[in-house]
Amino acid sequence: MDPGVRLMERVRARDVAAFESLYDGYHRLVFGIGLRILGDPTMAEDLTQNVFLKVWTAPEAFRGGSFVAWVSRVARNRALDALRARSARPETEIPADLPLEGSIDDDVLAKLDAQSVRDALAQLPPEQRGLIEMGFFGGVTHQEIARRTATPLGTVKTRIRTGLRRLRESLAEQAAR
Amino acid sequence: MNDDSMRESMLESVALYALGVLPPEDAALVAAFIAGDDEARREYHDLRAAATALAQTADEPVDSARSARLKERLMARVRADAAAGRLSAARVSPAYPAWMWGTGLAAAAAIVFSVVTVAQDVNTRGELAAAQRRAATLQTELAESQRSSAAESRTLTDLLAPDARRYPVAAGTVVVRGDHVYFALSKLAALPKGRVYQAWTAAKGSATMAPSVTFTPNSDGVAIVALPVDATRVGTVAVSVEPEGGSKAPTTTPTFVRPLS
Repeated sequence: MDPGVRLMERVRARDVAAFESLYDGYHRLVFGIGLRILGDPTMAEDLTQNVFLKVWTAPEAFRGGSFVAWVSRVARNRALDALRARSARPETEIPADLPLEGSIDDDVLAKLDAQSVRDALAQLPPEQRGLIEMGFFGGVTHQEIARRTATPLGTVKTRIRTGLRRLRESLAEQAAR
Repeated sequence: MNDDSMRESMLESVALYALGVLPPEDAALVAAFIAGDDEARREYHDLRAAATALAQTADEPVDSARSARLKERLMARVRADAAAGRLSAARVSPAYPAWMWGTGLAAAAAIVFSVVTVAQDVNTRGELAAAQRRAATLQTELAESQRSSAAESRTLTDLLAPDARRYPVAAGTVVVRGDHVYFALSKLAALPKGRVYQAWTAAKGSATMAPSVTFTPNSDGVAIVALPVDATRVGTVAVSVEPEGGSKAPTTTPTFVRPLS
């Protein structure tokens, strides 16, 4: 089981030590997501504090599944909100912190470390990897990706879909080892 | 574009939805499609897991001084809260810049700011009374904004959940999860001015339709609607076109009637 899940059960009971363990275990991930999306260490630091305060003040928002998946989605959502506020872009998005309760995929995810995901991502052709990373960390729409990369919209859709499918297969293989 | 190529195009868009790169108007259409299509739902859950995994590539060492400073600040707040036994969002939010909050919460933060501003600007009894009324209104708006954000999140969770029950209808899908019932409709015809769609529900064992909410689809014919009823008591749902403001009983042939069994 994702160790974060057990710790969250204790955080719900207002266990400060459990919260500290959660912070120690996951603050690098949250800070890293903030830094990749916002490109500013101070903003990433504020984001990290904000996300962990949410964990403490509203632990019920985590409704099961993988803690690492959930906290990643929360961090990415908050960072993208900040990015949009900073650039006054009007786009909104479907919330990324929808829980996949009891999802096998979340369980698979919990078995992977950062290096495993980097290795899987590195196996993708650069034209797929680049578009996927721009979409995930850039907070832009597929039309904007097409415009920035001067790639036809249909090609962007196909590359993202194919790339995500390959990534999914590769991650599943790594998790099964 | 025929139905097959339209469906294939929508399936391609599922990956974009999973990655979170669709603009809102397209996202609503794809969410409605996923809610009613088994293959799309499987694809969504597969690809969303891969998209979420991308976040882990950002997991890298943090500068130790920064990490220590951040932890010290955070733990001081948490320990103080644990000692006090409470830490409300209202106490937390002013300490952080407005950009930290999500779209819905940014609006909420703006309202909180307005409350503070109103309270500080008054200098007469009359102005104070007016300010108190305004503050009460703003606090109501704040609560509504927070409820709306939570409800939207709950709706999307239920629509895409693997364990939801789904009932195909001509215009999309009726989705039931727990005691919630939703319409995920994507093929609604545009309506003339002064007309709206209205939902109807009949209790289990009853043939009498009770009026529910009215709604208008977006320009793509998409409407995602949460019905304010206890799904465990509902036997049939329906939709008809009615005058603006709704009717007490259907006045036109229903767009669909769907027993939930």
